[in-house]
Amino acid sequence: MATEQPAADQTDDIQREIGHDEYDPIGTLALVFIYFIIVSMLWIFVYFVEFLPRISPMVVF
Amino acid sequence: MAVFADRYPDEAKVVRAALASSFLALLIGGAMGPLQTLHRIDYLRIMPSETYYTVLTLHGVALVILFTIFFLVGFYQWAITDSLDRPSEDIRVTWLWYGLMTAGAAMASIAILGGFTDATDISASVLFTFYAPLEAHWLFYAGLTTFIVGTWVAGADWFRSWWNWKKENKGEKTPLRTFMVLTTMLMWYLATIGVAAAVLLFLLPWSLGIIDSVNPLLTRTLFWYFGHPVVYFWLLPVYMIWYVILPQIAGGRLFSDALARIVFVLFLVLSVPVGIHHQYLDPGIAEGFKFLSASNTMFLLLPSLLTAFTVVASIEHGARQRGGEGYFRWLTALPWRNPAFTGMALAGLMFAAAGFSGMVNAGMNLNYLVHNTMWVPGHFHLTVGTAVALTIMAVTYWFLPRITGNPIFSMRLGLVQVLTWFVGMVLMSNAMHRVGVGGEPRRTADPFYDFEFEGVIGSIGELHLQIGIGAIILTLSLVLFFIHLIFSWFGISATTKITSEAPIRKPLSGKEHAPAVLENFRLWVAIAAVLIVLVYTIPIASIIAEGGLFGPDVSPVRPDHAPLFSLSGLATEWVVAGLAGAVGAIAAIAGVLR
Ligand code: HEM
Ligand SMILES: [Cu+2]
Repeated sequence: MATEQPAADQTDDIQREIGHDEYDPIGTLALVFIYFIIVSMLWIFVYFVEFLPRISPMVVF
Repeated sequence: MAVFADRYPDEAKVVRAALASSFLALLIGGAMGPLQTLHRIDYLRIMPSETYYTVLTLHGVALVILFTIFFLVGFYQWAITDSLDRPSEDIRVTWLWYGLMTAGAAMASIAILGGFTDATDISASVLFTFYAPLEAHWLFYAGLTTFIVGTWVAGADWFRSWWNWKKENKGEKTPLRTFMVLTTMLMWYLATIGVAAAVLLFLLPWSLGIIDSVNPLLTRTLFWYFGHPVVYFWLLPVYMIWYVILPQIAGGRLFSDALARIVFVLFLVLSVPVGIHHQYLDPGIAEGFKFLSASNTMFLLLPSLLTAFTVVASIEHGARQRGGEGYFRWLTALPWRNPAFTGMALAGLMFAAAGFSGMVNAGMNLNYLVHNTMWVPGHFHLTVGTAVALTIMAVTYWFLPRITGNPIFSMRLGLVQVLTWFVGMVLMSNAMHRVGVGGEPRRTADPFYDFEFEGVIGSIGELHLQIGIGAIILTLSLVLFFIHLIFSWFGISATTKITSEAPIRKPLSGKEHAPAVLENFRLWVAIAAVLIVLVYTIPIASIIAEGGLFGPDVSPVRPDHAPLFSLSGLATEWVVAGLAGAVGAIAAIAGVLR
């Protein structure tokens, strides 16, 4: 065991400290917005999925 | 700060033991994955089709009971010791629960493995849901019980630490990680009542010949009473990792301590009274109660969406501290070369996708479309098979040095490993969903029934090819993981020792802002218990009234029989459902406002 070292934790490359009051998570807002659009589109898509298989009823006991 | 392994060597030993058991289960269960996949798509058949069910049982039990829960106890032991900064109250008790769990796991595994040989009549090819009338050797049920009792003792061990800590730190709020451990375990105590009842009152005596028969719908309902919350038992340690460790790796701080606590409390309150959503197609349970579970399930989306917001905001904070700018450009400032970060980010992304298929499963009408098809394994290979499993693998690249004192063998190899898991799962899971929508059943060695499959894009043959390729890539990823694990764990070819670690950074909005009522565990358990009583009493009573406590006179369910379902009954249930949801929501909001 030649040298000893700390567990790497990505602390070394922090360039600035951003406190609670300076931080405004607009990037998160942007991503949440995209997520919202995807969910809305899927919601509409589900209508087609439910009828796409064209076999009715789908589940036969 | 000195590394955990040096600060708490005795506890680190238990953590390592639990992780070793967990990864052994991953190895065994994972090895079954390609076997069964290639068998069912008819590419490579090296076993008779009857053996398929033994393989699938081993896959299910090893992965979703042993791998996940052994990881949980090891990780939670670390969380408790590190966040309370105190050693185990009595290390012998700590070893005792680990011993119980290991003994239980060994018993259940022996029972399952017995299914591979004719030399003994021990077998347990009952799949991980062990529905009656499928019967396993008693060793299987006894093993499961012992394993779960072990987890109960572990919970008690951690509560004891907390109580003693409180005595010495009067008036202080519980550290976040300890809070998360305790809420998880309270949820677990409530949840395991179901499986304990199913096994101890019915299945174990039945397998020992003490009673002649059981009521299959009753044991099945008791199983799902436990079967849904168990998914949160897999998920909550992962949430802890996302809340506490992921921001740390991203170079940021947790956005809000209070939000994280609220999420865990919501899971404690809402996890159990939803199990019936796995039984939408079970005859003998009134529609109204299925609806109640469906609406509670939709409430459960709330804490998951809160988590998505909080975790992403915490990561973004890291990106901005590292110089990130703009609406989207900050994403490039994240440490994508670090496998711990990338693995967890991809796991989180998959979890968002799993939310989509989860909503389909949870909706009563859409569920009928996908029930018991390959869609369902497609869904949970995104949740437990990726959100949970990939996070566990990824966090290992951060966690291992802290508990072994050895450095990670190669971050680049780690990156390849997490990426291959992601790619493999995209292929396999996507194709599973799609053959499922086409009607291909799950849990069968020979899914080639006579049905006309009409794919939207691509034929069933192409989708099977995708499943096969996905499975092979996943297997490759597992092999890489294990090679890497062994090199890192034992410090093979390492020239350095890890001696210090950075402490976890404080949240942006700290625990001083968390409302005190969140620590009122009695209140939350009471609300959870009320919801459980509301949701389960009448269904269970009517199941027993219909089929008898022990069967076997399970009368066929006749549609013209006594109205399990009536309009006025339905109306009452809707009101109850609304109230039940409102109680939880109001309590949570009141807690925040106080
Ligand atoms: C190499 C990676 C994996 C492959 C190739 C794979 C493949 C499969 C396949 C094809 C099935 C469906 C079998 C059927 O219904 O007939 C299945 C079931 C299942 N898998 Fe996986 N899987 C993998 C990893 C995982 C992981 C990591 C987990 C969880 C942590 C997991 C949990 C499950 C569970 C719970 C089942 C259901 C068992 C049952 O129906 O009783 N799998 N797997
Ligand atoms: Cu569920």
